[in-house]
Amino acid sequence: MDSKLITLRPFKLSDADDLMSYAGDDQVTRSLRWKTLTTKDEALTFIKDVCIPHPWRRSICIDDRSIGFVTVFPGSSDDRHKADLGYAIAAKYWGQGITTKAIEVAISQVFKDSPNLVRLQAFADVENKASQRVLEKAGFQKEGVLRRYGYLKGNIKDLNIGEPNLLHVKLDPESN
Amino acid sequence: MTVRSEWSSSSHKVCRAEIGYALAAEYWGQGIVIRAVKMAITEGFNEFTDLVRMQALVLIENKASQRVLEKLGFHMEGLLREYTIHKGTVKDLGTISNFLKVMESSRISLRPFKVSDADDFLKWASDDKVTRYLRWNTITSREEALAYIEKVAIPHPWRQSICLDDHSIGYVSVKPELGDDTCRAHVSYAVSAEYWGQGIAKQALRMAMSRVYKEFPCLVRVEALVEVENKGSQMVLEKVGFVKEGLLRKYGYCKGEIRDMFIYSFLSTDKIM
Repeated sequence: MDSKLITLRPFKLSDADDLMSYAGDDQVTRSLRWKTLTTKDEALTFIKDVCIPHPWRRSICIDDRSIGFVTVFPGSSDDRHKADLGYAIAAKYWGQGITTKAIEVAISQVFKDSPNLVRLQAFADVENKASQRVLEKAGFQKEGVLRRYGYLKGNIKDLNIGEPNLLHVKLDPESN
Repeated sequence: MTVRSEWSSSSHKVCRAEIGYALAAEYWGQGIVIRAVKMAITEGFNEFTDLVRMQALVLIENKASQRVLEKLGFHMEGLLREYTIHKGTVKDLGTISNFLKVMESSRISLRPFKVSDADDFLKWASDDKVTRYLRWNTITSREEALAYIEKVAIPHPWRQSICLDDHSIGYVSVKPELGDDTCRAHVSYAVSAEYWGQGIAKQALRMAMSRVYKEFPCLVRVEALVEVENKGSQMVLEKVGFVKEGLLRKYGYCKGEIRDMFIYSFLSTDKIM
């Protein structure tokens, strides 16, 4: 896959169908907090009410078609120097280095866009080896395992509760 | 200087030790013994981890030694008559003094803050040593103390005063996260410098962990963030049973600086030590 074809841009309402193709897939949304989307209307609402107003959410695109997303959630007030990274990509694009490339682009953009940002962190479920590999390849350092860190989709067995999380971190290369 | 643990005939843990000391006469009256004994007490409690009570026996006529012990916080418990033979003579032993590691744990309590705590609160919250690793600034006046208690401490989901004989000497705070993350909470605490080294923070944390897990039934995880140089706090957490999970680089913003922090956690399934 020619990595030059991978771009990041804000979401548009016209992305709704493409969004449905991965956000409607349980496999993809399993490790995410948001519920699997089931209708095009839900997708449109999601883009309008959540993606577009978001401080930093980008569609991962191939040939300008959305195949995934990257989100950076900045901390508030005293935590402005810190932000959380989240991402997902359509299952058919897994295992091809696309996510890693997209994350690398996102990282360099977000550090430029946020002058106060010093620390970018990401959480990956202990069992989510693929995500851990993506983060490590993108230059994140594993800092620790946070035990029973949080609920995901109310399911005690699945992620977070009873399942530890790895915290990965990337520091701003400029400030080091 | 000697700190000697007593062995009990059963194989119970050694909880009691006796301290003895002497100093060359040319160095008397300069506060040296006080400083030395203070260091010995701290080290003794650190090394003998089951130690709860340290005691000293002093002859009645030895006023100087009694003053030393009282200044260090020993409590006179009683007069033991004809207790010992000292250099060939039966003597009354002036005082048994004791230094209880946890100030007799029944004297330490946790309770919500009250407006009437303002003066006691000001005493320790105005001390830079105490607030050094806290996010909030040293309190400088009674008005600030009152405002803090009324606007921050009392409305807080779980911020309690650590009390000695019902006087505030510190605080423990447990704050659950919002929304979907209420299974997780953050703990912070501070104790008046006057009472450091006596196991009070440990006791307060043990009480807090036991209570919050009962009061917040969905709570699963309590975490604490500690600065790398704050070794005292790291030891307190570890002794209570918190697990160190990692070093979070440039994680915390405190008093104008971005700092590395250790993250510790105590789960609902962890054992209070």
